Amino acid sequence: MLLAQANTTFDLLALIAGWVILIFIAALGGVIIWCMVTGTIDLSKLISEPNGDASMSRLQLLIFTFVIATSLFLIIVYGHAFPATIPQGVLVLLGISSSSYLVSKGIQFSSAAGVSGSGPALIIVPQRVAVPCGGQPFTFEVTRVGLDDDSGVKWSLPPTSAGTLGLINPDTGVYTPPQPASPPLGCPYVEVHATSVTNPSVMDVALIHLI
Amino acid sequence: MKDPSHDPFSFGGEVSSIPDLAQAATFVIAAFLAGVAAITGTQLLSGTINTRRLFYGRRKNGDYYFSPERVQLLLFTVWVAFTYLLTVFGNRSKLPDVDTQTLALLGGSHALYLGGKAFARLAPVRNGKD
Repeated sequence: MLLAQANTTFDLLALIAGWVILIFIAALGGVIIWCMVTGTIDLSKLISEPNGDASMSRLQLLIFTFVIATSLFLIIVYGHAFPATIPQGVLVLLGISSSSYLVSKGIQFSSAAGVSGSGPALIIVPQRVAVPCGGQPFTFEVTRVGLDDDSGVKWSLPPTSAGTLGLINPDTGVYTPPQPASPPLGCPYVEVHATSVTNPSVMDVALIHLI
Repeated sequence: MKDPSHDPFSFGGEVSSIPDLAQAATFVIAAFLAGVAAITGTQLLSGTINTRRLFYGRRKNGDYYFSPERVQLLLFTVWVAFTYLLTVFGNRSKLPDVDTQTLALLGGSHALYLGGKAFARLAPVRNGKD
C-alpha cells in the first residue's frame, strides 16, 4: 500500500522514514501522557514556589504558552505551512509574560524570606565549634533570614548546663567556657540556643564541644 | 472528493487506503496537545497541581496577606488568553496580532502585580508585623 503513495524508490524510503519517525514521536508522546496520568511525571508542583506555595507568575506563563502553542498549531494545520511572520503583538505578549516571571523571581530572591522559602529563621554561625576548657571566650554570630537586621536575639544555654558547662552572654552571644574540672568533664557537648525576641518561635541551636 | 484547502486532515489530496503521513502527524500532535491541556486543566481544577495560596503574597517578615494584584493579574490573563483563542478559532488563515491597547492593559496589570510584590517583599516591616 505504501508503494501506491511512492513514485520512486527514494519516495518510498522517505515515506518509510517519515512513518518510523512519526510512530516514534507518537509513542514518546503516548508515554509522556501516560506518565502524567499515572503520576510518574509529577505535575503537583508545576506552578509552585520552592516553599510549596503556588505562583501566579508561573501560572500566567503556563496559560500564555498553551494559548500561543495551540494557536500556532491550528494556523499551521489550516494554512498547511508555518506562518511567514510571527506578529509583533504576539512576541510582545510572550515578552511581557516571560519578563514578568523573571522579574518576579528577582524580587522573590532579593529578600531573605524568599530564599529560605519556609518563613523567618535564625542560623547560628558556626553550627559546631570545639572550645578548650579554660580557654578564651568564643563569640557566636547569627544570620537573620526573613527578620529585620536589627531585630533582637536572645542567647541561652540549657538550664542543666548553665554554670557548670560555661556561661553565655544573653545579648552578645559571647560564650565563656568553664575552667578545667577535676575530675575532667569527659569532653561533653553543650547546646547554645539563639531565639528571636520579636518572634520567639524562631530559634536555632548550635553545639559546643568542650575539649 | 473534499477540497484539501478547507480540510485540515487532508494534506495531499490523494485518496489512499492508508492515512496520509501529514494527516497522521496532525492527529498525533493534536492528540498530544489536547492530552497535555486536559491533564493540566483537570489537575489544576481538582487541586492535584498545588494551588495553595495562589492569591496570597508574602511580606518581608514571612507573613502572608491576601493580594488583590494577583487576582487582577489572573483575570487579565484569562481574558487576554480567551479573547486570543476566540480570534484564532474565528480566522485560522494567519496568526492574529494582539492590539496595542490589549498589550498596554496587560503590561499595566503585570506592572501592578510586580509593584505590589516588590513593595511587600522589600518594604520595611515594623515590630514584626505590617
